[in-house]
Amino acid sequence: MGHMTVDNDSQAAISGPMMLTRRLFVACAALLAVSSGVGHPLVSSAFAQSADPGASVFMQKLGNDAIGTFSNKSTPKEQALQHFRALLHKGFDVPYIGRWVLGRYWNQASEAQQAEYQKLFEQLIVGTYAERFIEYSGETFKIVGALPEGETDTMVTTQIIRPSGPPVNVNWRIRKKDADYKIIDVVVENVSMGVTQRQEFSSVVQQNGGKVDGLIQALRQKVGKAG
Amino acid sequence: MKLASLTRSTLRSALVAALALTATACANKPLDPGSKEAATEVNDPLEVPNRFVFAANEAADVLVLRPAAEVYVAAVPNPIRDAIHNFIDNLMSPLYIANNLLQGNFEGAQFATGRFLTNTILGAGGIADVATQAGIPNRPEDFGQTLAVWGVGDGPYLVLPLLGPSNLRDTVGYGVDTVADPVRVWGYAADHKGALYARAGANAIDRRSHVLKEVDDLRRNSLDFYATVRSLRQQQRQAEIANKPVSGPDFPDFASAPKQ
Repeated sequence: MGHMTVDNDSQAAISGPMMLTRRLFVACAALLAVSSGVGHPLVSSAFAQSADPGASVFMQKLGNDAIGTFSNKSTPKEQALQHFRALLHKGFDVPYIGRWVLGRYWNQASEAQQAEYQKLFEQLIVGTYAERFIEYSGETFKIVGALPEGETDTMVTTQIIRPSGPPVNVNWRIRKKDADYKIIDVVVENVSMGVTQRQEFSSVVQQNGGKVDGLIQALRQKVGKAG
Repeated sequence: MKLASLTRSTLRSALVAALALTATACANKPLDPGSKEAATEVNDPLEVPNRFVFAANEAADVLVLRPAAEVYVAAVPNPIRDAIHNFIDNLMSPLYIANNLLQGNFEGAQFATGRFLTNTILGAGGIADVATQAGIPNRPEDFGQTLAVWGVGDGPYLVLPLLGPSNLRDTVGYGVDTVADPVRVWGYAADHKGALYARAGANAIDRRSHVLKEVDDLRRNSLDFYATVRSLRQQQRQAEIANKPVSGPDFPDFASAPKQ
């Protein structure tokens, strides 16, 4: 429960004069800030460089689809899970992410190991994130900007606005493949999910004497437990 | 008098330690543009003892801190929790201002000063964060970040008892911030050590209460929670030091690129 809730509650609950006072406060604060030399806003010019506008369009549509799908609470859980999987594969290049996350151990793995790893990785993603989307509770998002990232990609910056708690900054690294856009990394408050998982997997492999089998074993256990 | 000399000597030894760090650890500057690949490496030669301390911290969290934070969230209404958070943080402002200045970031120092004045005067002594509403978000700067800006490398990753993930440089930074903290200086001078303990406790519970669900999720979904936390901490820290998102490692095109 953060500022947003407080603001809404108090604005709904209290009458005119209080609101005026509040507005006055904010104005005074702004004035004081300016007078102490803190003038210009922190918003960076996100559109300064030219980014592929198609990536933002793709992101907007994917987000709308997700909200549309999961705000319907009457969907049976099994079906909601299927919807999640469909959206996941529509929006994300899961095999690419899986391979990237395994890093240098990918080439050490046999083809059979690679295949089993990719299957388990997909199940891990579903197990980790499906619940959060299915339990959708009124979050919305807005696209803040888009910047070119690397030579081929676009980083679309969004803000997830939660019914309770301060907004969360989430960046989506999007790559265009033929005519399709796919997300290949998600950066939440400066933390890359891909990098985090790569370092975690690397640690598990190292704990198991540098063998990919140790990671596959751990994934099997994790996925099995999640159902 | 005694306190002043103690403070001075602690400061001096911290400074010596910092300089020693500079001398030995200059090789891996965190802001080196060539360190793209280093972004995926963690310097953790003390992993075995670190994992031991991490496990102890986990136990302390599960047994004490997490339950305390849950009770806090359940028992104390949200506006009061916000006020407590704002009050504690506002009193850290002098440190943020000083560290901005030490980093040569005068704009940052102006922001921090503006926040401190705004919240202290208009925010009823700091319990209301009117500065954020007016568009000046909070941006803590600690001495660990200052050392990083001066070119001191991270040093080995360290998990500190109760304080949690850090590294050698940030541990030194934490020591310096603690000694220089005006609230602490006041607490010792006026013999109000109880207030300092109360603040430390409230601060820990406040910070923990903001991430109850997130930490639960991470714990449940991680294969190796120690490695996950280590990675999170390193990435967040790099962004805090640079005051902007840090570009990560390369994402090659596997289809056309030669094998890694």
